[in-house]
Amino acid sequence: MAERSFAKEVEALKLGDGETFRGEGILAVTKALLQSGVAYVGGYQGAPVSHLLDVLVDAQDMMAGLGVHLETCTNEASAAAMLGASINYPLRGAVTWKSIVGTNVAADALSNLSSPGVIGGAMIIIGEDYGEGASVIQERSYAYALKSSMWLLDPRPDLPAIVRMVEKGFELSEASHAPVMLELRVRACHVTGEFIAKKNRASARSGLNRIDTPARFDYARLAHPPLTFTHEKLKIDERLPAAQNFAREHRLNEFFDGDLKETGIVVLGGLYNTVLRALARLGLADNFGNARIPIYCLNLAYPLIPDELKQFCLGKRDVLIVEEGFPDYVEQAVAAELRRADIQTRIHGKGALPKAGEYTGEVVLRGLANFLNAAQPAGIDVGEIAAKAVRLLGHKGAAIAAVGDIPPRPPNFCTGCPERPVFAALKLAQREIGPAHISADIGCHSFATFAPFSMGNSILGYGMSLASAAAVAPNLKARPISVMGDGGFWHNGLITGVASNLFNKNDGVLIVMQNGYTSATGQQYMPSSKASRQGTAPGMDVESTLRAFGVKWLRTVRSYSVAKMAATLKEAMRTPVQGLKVIIADGECQLARQRRVRAEDAVKLKAGERVVGTKFGVDDEICTGDHSCIRLSGCPSLTVKPSPDPLRTDPVAAVIESCVGCGLCGEVAHAAVLCPSFYRAEVIQNASRWDRLLHRARQRVIGWLAPKEVAA
Amino acid sequence: MTDTRPITLLIAALGGEGGGVLTDWIVSAAHSSGLPVQSTSIPGVAQRTGATTYYVEIYPVPRSELGGRRPVLALSPGVGDVDLVVASELLEAGRAIANGFVTAERTLLIASVSRVYLTVEKMQMGDGRYDAERLAKAAAQNAKEHLLFDMEAAAKQAGAIVNSVMLGAIAASGRLPIPAEAFETAIREDGKAVESNLRGFRAGMAAARDKLPAIIRHSDKRPAKPTLRDLEAETAALPEPARSIVVEGVRRLVAYQDAAYARLYLDRLKLFIDARVLAETARHLAVRMSFEDVIRVAEAKIDPARFRRIEGEIGAKDQPYVVTEFLKPGIEELCQVLPPRLARAILAYSEKRGWLGTVYFGMELTTTTVWGYLRFWALAKLHRFRPKSWRYHEEQIAIEAWLARVAAAAKLSPELAREVAECARLIKGYGDTWKRGAANYATIEARLIAPVLEGRIGLCAGIDAIASARTAALLDPEGEGLGKALAAIEAQVSLPLAAE
Repeated sequence: MAERSFAKEVEALKLGDGETFRGEGILAVTKALLQSGVAYVGGYQGAPVSHLLDVLVDAQDMMAGLGVHLETCTNEASAAAMLGASINYPLRGAVTWKSIVGTNVAADALSNLSSPGVIGGAMIIIGEDYGEGASVIQERSYAYALKSSMWLLDPRPDLPAIVRMVEKGFELSEASHAPVMLELRVRACHVTGEFIAKKNRASARSGLNRIDTPARFDYARLAHPPLTFTHEKLKIDERLPAAQNFAREHRLNEFFDGDLKETGIVVLGGLYNTVLRALARLGLADNFGNARIPIYCLNLAYPLIPDELKQFCLGKRDVLIVEEGFPDYVEQAVAAELRRADIQTRIHGKGALPKAGEYTGEVVLRGLANFLNAAQPAGIDVGEIAAKAVRLLGHKGAAIAAVGDIPPRPPNFCTGCPERPVFAALKLAQREIGPAHISADIGCHSFATFAPFSMGNSILGYGMSLASAAAVAPNLKARPISVMGDGGFWHNGLITGVASNLFNKNDGVLIVMQNGYTSATGQQYMPSSKASRQGTAPGMDVESTLRAFGVKWLRTVRSYSVAKMAATLKEAMRTPVQGLKVIIADGECQLARQRRVRAEDAVKLKAGERVVGTKFGVDDEICTGDHSCIRLSGCPSLTVKPSPDPLRTDPVAAVIESCVGCGLCGEVAHAAVLCPSFYRAEVIQNASRWDRLLHRARQRVIGWLAPKEVAA
Repeated sequence: MTDTRPITLLIAALGGEGGGVLTDWIVSAAHSSGLPVQSTSIPGVAQRTGATTYYVEIYPVPRSELGGRRPVLALSPGVGDVDLVVASELLEAGRAIANGFVTAERTLLIASVSRVYLTVEKMQMGDGRYDAERLAKAAAQNAKEHLLFDMEAAAKQAGAIVNSVMLGAIAASGRLPIPAEAFETAIREDGKAVESNLRGFRAGMAAARDKLPAIIRHSDKRPAKPTLRDLEAETAALPEPARSIVVEGVRRLVAYQDAAYARLYLDRLKLFIDARVLAETARHLAVRMSFEDVIRVAEAKIDPARFRRIEGEIGAKDQPYVVTEFLKPGIEELCQVLPPRLARAILAYSEKRGWLGTVYFGMELTTTTVWGYLRFWALAKLHRFRPKSWRYHEEQIAIEAWLARVAAAAKLSPELAREVAECARLIKGYGDTWKRGAANYATIEARLIAPVLEGRIGLCAGIDAIASARTAALLDPEGEGLGKALAAIEAQVSLPLAAE
């Protein structure tokens, strides 16, 4: 069960011939997979492609009707290896993940897949997490396509174009016996639009119509020497030309003509709209795709089709290549092809455009102005274009000066998150044991790298924290502390981190955040969740797994118990016991918990049952506005407000309505010996007669004692 | 090449505010109005309270008139190319301005003046809040038109979430070629929390139509109640704003202790003549003299007005409720109310045994029960013994020392005196926080204030140095900020000294 329900989107997946699908890009891809007759789908969740899997999980009945097998894999390597089914059998399959990171994890399986090649169409949908909103290392997935001879589709971010590329992608894969990657950037995954749907197709062979006999032994299907030497040649001699021929015949790439014929733009499909808008703003295109400069749009980013390229460049003096990120693979390939063909067209690319960073509208607009200034095509006033660019963008400097240096607003632990108290405890423990090397990981807990905790010495990948401390431990006086989520634990950390640590008899401390979901990606189930998409719990458990692996020093601590967590951490750091010491910080993801508890409470309230609501508060007359509580929390519900004291200017702490009463404020006030301002208030709804009687009696006695007037 | 350009809309919001739903409403309303529309977003991990944006393009010519042609719409906002920017929060409006999306040629900026503070704004020991006036001014300067109002308050009043208020303001702005009814229909068709969303929508419409004035909220100050007339009358001759501060100080100290203590306050202030020095010193002196000892805390905890505030905050009308206090006094806190000699003996012994800073008595007391209330009540009764307590004794010594510095500074320059007085801001909080603050003050006193007063650091350089050291200490009270700042300052001021 993911964070949001996709009931409405599931209905869109059922649309038939001629009906209009309306929705997000990534869901259009999902529909296109079903229209293409896939037999299996798998993947690992992560922005921006999480919705592809989430919606299919919600659409299980329909999937069963089509005989499509769905696998929510434990990591991308396991997803990539699923494509192995298409090596021997005529089964179409698709897997998805966040790239570059997911592709890195999957790389071994991908190499071994693309060497023998496939007979059933194999497609990898990658969410290219690049530019604004991205949460991973900024690298291009292109490199993987290039090195493994997989083909890379980069469709125009327009739903009909995306859907067509998915459908054609399977044909391309089958025609050339190579896996195909389809990349969508963050915004393309979330772009809304519409396309005319087709009926979903069931695969000829699937769970509904199983294949009678296993494939016969065929050494050529194995990525194993000596066949790997043959595969290498096959890739170049047969699969590459087959792919190029298919792409040319089916016009995967698009040509858009223009009257300024001595210039041209070669653009990767995903950047087409940005280029078009920049041209329109400079007065060189309308809003319907009619541009004055001819455009060659590469929906197939790899491989390049030399004939098409030559045809486009012939007779052009200057061509701009718009390709985001580094290295400039396409620019290099274009340069080489033109050189080989002895075509003298000048190449502009990185130079007119920046070498690194996202190609936003602003960047492309400047880039086009630079290009035109260098190319000086006849028929337009280049000076006027340059002046226009300045006019359109020139106000930015003054705007920045007017508002000042606004600090970023990074994501944060949610209100009541069970991971925040662990870092409060870690901060407190370090006051006594001294600073520790903190090996951080991927997951919500990486928000501890932001204020107010600002913790973490390295992040080496999902589930890699313990492994990345392996060479730190023996070189440092104090034990390093590795932090890992349960998502990371099952994704990679158990084998890469724990097993390797135990195998090498290393020392160290590992904190496993056990919140029951892969929360950062939208709360998907994972092996130790309390439930699964099939209903019953998967039955795996972090603690018993660690014991089975041979971890001796193991403590499970409720994550909100700050004092106990701090004490346990100190013990783990100081104990003379050598070896791996694991602390499981146990606390359910508060987003998931709130969704459940709120529904339960609403039912109880309606039924007239007793419900106790908890909220924390700060006495604004006792708070001195030193904010030390905030430096140990950073909770969105713990904020500041102007001091009610006429003589104080600094704001005081305040708990706002969104407080869920997790208890951290009280725990921190105690564990840190903070201040006496915090209180917990519990209101009893549908109170019993006894509750009311007791409350009234107490109030009366207190009323007698109370001072008549106590001024501030 | 000129033709009708798309209408562009950028929504700046925080993760969890329903920006995605808002975007869906707009897309749905545009679609039902027959217009080509496209939206994009960058949710990612920004859903966890981080800053995020949603971008919508609407082509203002109905599909039926386009003859099958489809406009090519952009996926991200262009600098200088946004017609309508809507921000749920003032700093995020500022961010949109800084990104160049708000221009005087084109943009209507609709933004909330409410603030959701960044962690880095909240965590400073002083006041780290971004300058709201500056943001509001930048909004007015950079936009073609602007509408600022408190969306958070409007949403709260309507019992809705802020996204519906934003939709109402968008609908009423008239910038989109979509009738208000189409937005209402979008809310109804979405089918979730329809009633509250419609209430919010109408509140947003009303705010935009009436062009609500941009009032930046200030909380109500709670001045002390009038007390003794003769003492207050003595302040009549003082210049404003010092006079009202001194009156407030007198009232506070009468309530805090008694008339004699307030008299001491007035006597102490006689050292200061310059109006601004007097005002600043009076403000800090009153705060310092009403130091937060356990008696003061106990009195505040049992104040009937406090329970009324809590009832309001938690919305307890007739429901029974329970209030639990979190206290963890150490030996020093317990010694506060003892006579100085006894307290010092206990502290000396505790120090020898290593109990200071390690032994604490954690307790959760329920002030809504008779027994819990009585414990605070009994502590509050120690009020009249306060002047005999160790803490009182220690505080008076510290206050006199600080006052002497301010007075000495006043003889050199009023500006210097104000900077020295302002250093009292460093000393606040409880327990370790208080100790660290006091230590930071002591450091600044020894390394800057004393050298300036003794002429070892030049006056102008000294005033600047004290201000920057104080800022550094408030910014990063637990870190190395102050040390680094002092090192930098000393490197700078030692140069001219060496040359002299």
